[in-house]
Amino acid sequence: LTSSSTRAPTAAPAAEPALRARRRQPRRRAASWLTLLWALPALTVYGVFVLYPLVETVVYSFYNWDGIGAASPAGLSNYQRVFTQSALYSSILNSFVLIVFFTVIPVLLGLVSAVLMREIRGRGTGGLIRTLLFLPQVIPLAGAAIAWTWMYSPNGVVNQALRAVGLGSDQHAWLGDFSTALPAVGIIGTWVLTGFCTVLLLVGLAKIDQSLFEAARIDGAGRWAEFRAITLPGLRRELVVCTTVTIISALASFDVVYIATQGGPGYSTMVPGLEIYQLTFIKQQVGQASALAVVLVALVLAIIVPIQRLGRER
Amino acid sequence: MLPETRRSRRRTTLAGVAGLSVASAALLAACAPGAPSSSPSSSTSAGTSVGSGKATITVEEASIDVPLFQKLASLFEAKYPNIKVKVVGQDFNTLQTNVPRILAGSNVPDIIRLGAFGNTVADKQLANLDPYAAKYGWNSWPQAQFESTRSNAKGTERGTGSLYGVGPGFGLTGIYYNRALLKRIGAGVPATLAALEADMAKAKAKHIPPMIISGPAQTLAFTAQNLEVDYANSVTPVQNWNYDKPGASINSPAFVKAAATLQTWAKDGYFPTDVNSLQESDAVTQFDSGHSLFYVSGNWDAPAIDKAGLGKFGFFGFPPATAGGITDAMSAADLQVIPIKAAHPAQAAAFLNFIQTDQAARQDSLNMGGYVPGGPANAARLSTPNGSAVSGTVAFFAQATARNELTEFMVNATSSISASTLVPGTELLIGGRLSPSSLASKVQSDYVSQLASR
Repeated sequence: LTSSSTRAPTAAPAAEPALRARRRQPRRRAASWLTLLWALPALTVYGVFVLYPLVETVVYSFYNWDGIGAASPAGLSNYQRVFTQSALYSSILNSFVLIVFFTVIPVLLGLVSAVLMREIRGRGTGGLIRTLLFLPQVIPLAGAAIAWTWMYSPNGVVNQALRAVGLGSDQHAWLGDFSTALPAVGIIGTWVLTGFCTVLLLVGLAKIDQSLFEAARIDGAGRWAEFRAITLPGLRRELVVCTTVTIISALASFDVVYIATQGGPGYSTMVPGLEIYQLTFIKQQVGQASALAVVLVALVLAIIVPIQRLGRER
Repeated sequence: MLPETRRSRRRTTLAGVAGLSVASAALLAACAPGAPSSSPSSSTSAGTSVGSGKATITVEEASIDVPLFQKLASLFEAKYPNIKVKVVGQDFNTLQTNVPRILAGSNVPDIIRLGAFGNTVADKQLANLDPYAAKYGWNSWPQAQFESTRSNAKGTERGTGSLYGVGPGFGLTGIYYNRALLKRIGAGVPATLAALEADMAKAKAKHIPPMIISGPAQTLAFTAQNLEVDYANSVTPVQNWNYDKPGASINSPAFVKAAATLQTWAKDGYFPTDVNSLQESDAVTQFDSGHSLFYVSGNWDAPAIDKAGLGKFGFFGFPPATAGGITDAMSAADLQVIPIKAAHPAQAAAFLNFIQTDQAARQDSLNMGGYVPGGPANAARLSTPNGSAVSGTVAFFAQATARNELTEFMVNATSSISASTLVPGTELLIGGRLSPSSLASKVQSDYVSQLASR
């Protein structure tokens, strides 16, 4: 490299860019090592607290282990059980149902509320509505879930409201009924996540150039055309963030279910997060819990990665 | 072009770093999990003498029992001034979640409350209490009280082998009743299963909720077990099953019939509409408020029930199928163990002996925790307020012990049988989604596979 740099002045002009590139290499390499050095503290923390546990979880999933005593190799049997034992795979299916309540409804409601709130020009009212919608985000979820279990109880607010409007025959023990427990848990998620989606989408709406809306109006576009041609494409990134965050909350849900139903009645509200907790800490089957956790991570990635790609496309 | 090249280089560098980190993490994690084979011996090597040196023992309890143990500690400290007892507590469920890791850690208490042994005996985490049993004369006490806390060294079978735990008293299941409501339906305390069913039918006819029972609080499973003993007219099949005796099976006509009865009671509307989501704390509050006739639970609720209305509520054992049959109940010690890593095992054992034998301590265990003390056969009688729920539990415990009608809880047979099978299974049963025979075969097959996997 030293010889090439000394020969450079005499080299033909056509070779100049290549030489310059070669000359830049050592500096760039040094720079990349320096980058690595700066990133090292964060990488160490990431390695110790994220990568190491992740890899260790994968290792555990190939063993039968109670978390304390000696482990015995299990081969693929823990994974086989995830896909063949109904208690395990039904927990994954339940979490897919929760996506409707944690993602589909909040994103749709968030979109509608955000568009409507943009229309409400009065700042005071808009601010109040924003605060009310966002409020569930600042309440600890465990506390909120307890409050919801009271509301869902036979003499709770939900049944009282039904009685008040003459729908007494539709009363249920919402969390104790096999057909209503999962949707009831899902609605708690809807309540929490709608405000989050609304606020995020409102921020996205504020970033869209107002002149686009004005131009559309001049061209005679109706509200629906305006929504389809300007609002929706303009909110692409925010929608991807909303969808990603809420799908992860649905698939990895734990706290609401743990407080409200503990997976019951029967197995009707069992979700992977709770099953992993029970397998690890109550049933002392760390290997089985790890296999379910690995499948859950793979599932989250399989769903989230395509959505992220969708967000990047132009 | 250049930015793209830079980005791709950066990506390559980051991918390399990530790969390196994953690889190092993999190297760190690549060995098989679990303890080394040279675990400490489970027999206590420490002496049994308390000595006169100063020591502080740490007792880790469920938060709800902390006031009781603080009282027991002060009584003990008065007798042994050289020993201080530090009581710490955490929520019962959290404690049970953490127990195996607390026992494996470096800061291990001298006594800790367990829900059930789980894998702690197999993993050699508990001290063998046989030397203390010999020293303090526990071996000359009625031995039925130690049955559920004995285990073989492998931890695969209970009711046999060495002693690994004792307690200040015993949990005991049964049925609380509301005296005023029982009078209103014109009935007495039911002496047979048929009488119990008749009382529930009368209550239902008078729009009185007949029985507070709950899936999540495990009391559906308790009642299934009571009914099984009634129909089998023997405690042996279920007790063998509870203690994991080889070949034990619960897939029997008696259990199928028990499940069918439970399902019928649900169909007849004897249970609360939210039976499958009713939490234990809400269940006892509902009963305290005086609107229901019966409440299936255990003596741990007795002090609170008396507090809500002394004399208003009574307690009886689950009635036999026919008059004079077995009036059975589940019972287990409020399980206290000494970890193998405890710093002061001899002092801890002295404390455990004290709480079983000291009259004031025994009285406090009953008054504050609701636990019925065991101890020596000639122990002085405990005083209980006349007509209280607590006095009902004490009287029934004495009767059931004398007649050898107590059994361990089916929900404690393996560490996962409750959460995996019995709680969801009984909920599905009364919801009409699982037949009695399917429940019986599911409970048995899950039990067999859980025993095989440990």
